[in-house]
Amino acid sequence: MTVLTNNNDALGNQLLAALPSRDFGRIQPYLEPVSLDLGVVLYESGDPLEFVYFPTTAIVSLLYIMENGATAEIGVVGNDGILGIAIFMGGGTTPNRAIIQSAGKAFRMSVINLKAEFGIGGKFHDLLLRYTQAFITQISQTAVCNRLHSVEQQLCRWLLLSHDRLNSDKLVMTHDLISNMLGVRREGITLAAQKLGGKGLILNLRGTITVIDRHGLESAACECYKVVNDEYQRLLGKSIAKNNGL
Amino acid sequence: MSDYLRPKNLLLAELTTSSFRRLVPKFDQVELYYNHNLFKPGDRIRHVYFPESGIVSLLSAVGINATVEVGIVGNEGMIGIPVFLGLKTSNLLAVVQGAGTSLRMTAANLIKECASSDELPKILRRFTHSLMTQISQSTACNRFHPIDTRLARWLLMTQDLMKSSEFQITQEFLTNMLGVRREAVNKAANSFQQRDLISYSRGNLLILDRPGIEAAACSCYRAIADQKDVD
Repeated sequence: MTVLTNNNDALGNQLLAALPSRDFGRIQPYLEPVSLDLGVVLYESGDPLEFVYFPTTAIVSLLYIMENGATAEIGVVGNDGILGIAIFMGGGTTPNRAIIQSAGKAFRMSVINLKAEFGIGGKFHDLLLRYTQAFITQISQTAVCNRLHSVEQQLCRWLLLSHDRLNSDKLVMTHDLISNMLGVRREGITLAAQKLGGKGLILNLRGTITVIDRHGLESAACECYKVVNDEYQRLLGKSIAKNNGL
Repeated sequence: MSDYLRPKNLLLAELTTSSFRRLVPKFDQVELYYNHNLFKPGDRIRHVYFPESGIVSLLSAVGINATVEVGIVGNEGMIGIPVFLGLKTSNLLAVVQGAGTSLRMTAANLIKECASSDELPKILRRFTHSLMTQISQSTACNRFHPIDTRLARWLLMTQDLMKSSEFQITQEFLTNMLGVRREAVNKAANSFQQRDLISYSRGNLLILDRPGIEAAACSCYRAIADQKDVD
């Protein structure tokens, strides 16, 4: 991880941007810009957390680790939120593994400072609780999606959630990695990705997936994507969907 | 009404005696009727519930008819967490899975209480965290585990929380919990009957062979049970 030297673009994180300027001004000194590389594990299941992260361009995947080592993604955090809910919820440790799914930047804050600022109450506290609710909705929706929807639909949902949190249409991502995220065999991902490519929705090249037809992807996705997106809209008062979705 | 000095709900039991006493006038005690919806997705949450006995199932929904259980809450928790987190409506379906009684408070009073002192919010934050862990577990379970192991897990959790080896259950209920078609539920339940793990007739289910069911359950049971013990 690289620590960067200017934090003028912390407002690239929508939670932070939703703060009144006075509240943002108070926490700004505690925000440290960092650069996060693809595949880096920010923390492992059970690790005590030292920092919370507010991604601006990076995307973090939260994986639940089963007893036999298999992994399933339970949610993603990008510029829509904060990584480290366990800190202010009183857990201290998390059962999830946080891994960088898409390289980029974030701002981090030490646990001590986060707890202090959270404890003051006010807008920062309220926003973090509301974000927690949006995140609960995301993981609940993932549960029912995992149970009921086809791999193709789940891949659409996953691509849309990632695309919303990216600054470009191109996802640097292998089928192998997606297979770990979705808890589906790689062959299943490749098949689903080929189908989406065949429909002209994405461009599948080695190691990258490019979103070609955003609206088409939204139509092909299950309703789970909309549920999660609507919840963030409730939270932030505006949609974070690219092109405002449909 | 319950014994005020020792509330049966474990979250309320963490409050100091004087704090709880101060809250008592704001509670009413209600029956939890089997299969009764406390609130549905999109509903405004008017009351939060602190169960004393019985259990409430939280289901995530897709469309109208397709659901999957993502959490079970008994007297170790509160139903209505979105209110605590600052929102007015629910995304989940909260349905009574095991009859019992509950203390109930209006959403407005909960908000008022949480604004006046950090004692209850601190307790609710910790519960929220454990609920999130449970939901995450369900998410992963629904990804990987076949219906038999999930049914076994569900039976164990229900028995633990109801503190009884006999409980009411309908096939429709099981279908909604497990998020599978009726035929699949029948097949799994029949298989359990044939193996003398359970006996099921006319809406009543009896657990016959607890160790046998534990052997059949997926690892998620142990993970969730431990999580509830920690609280």
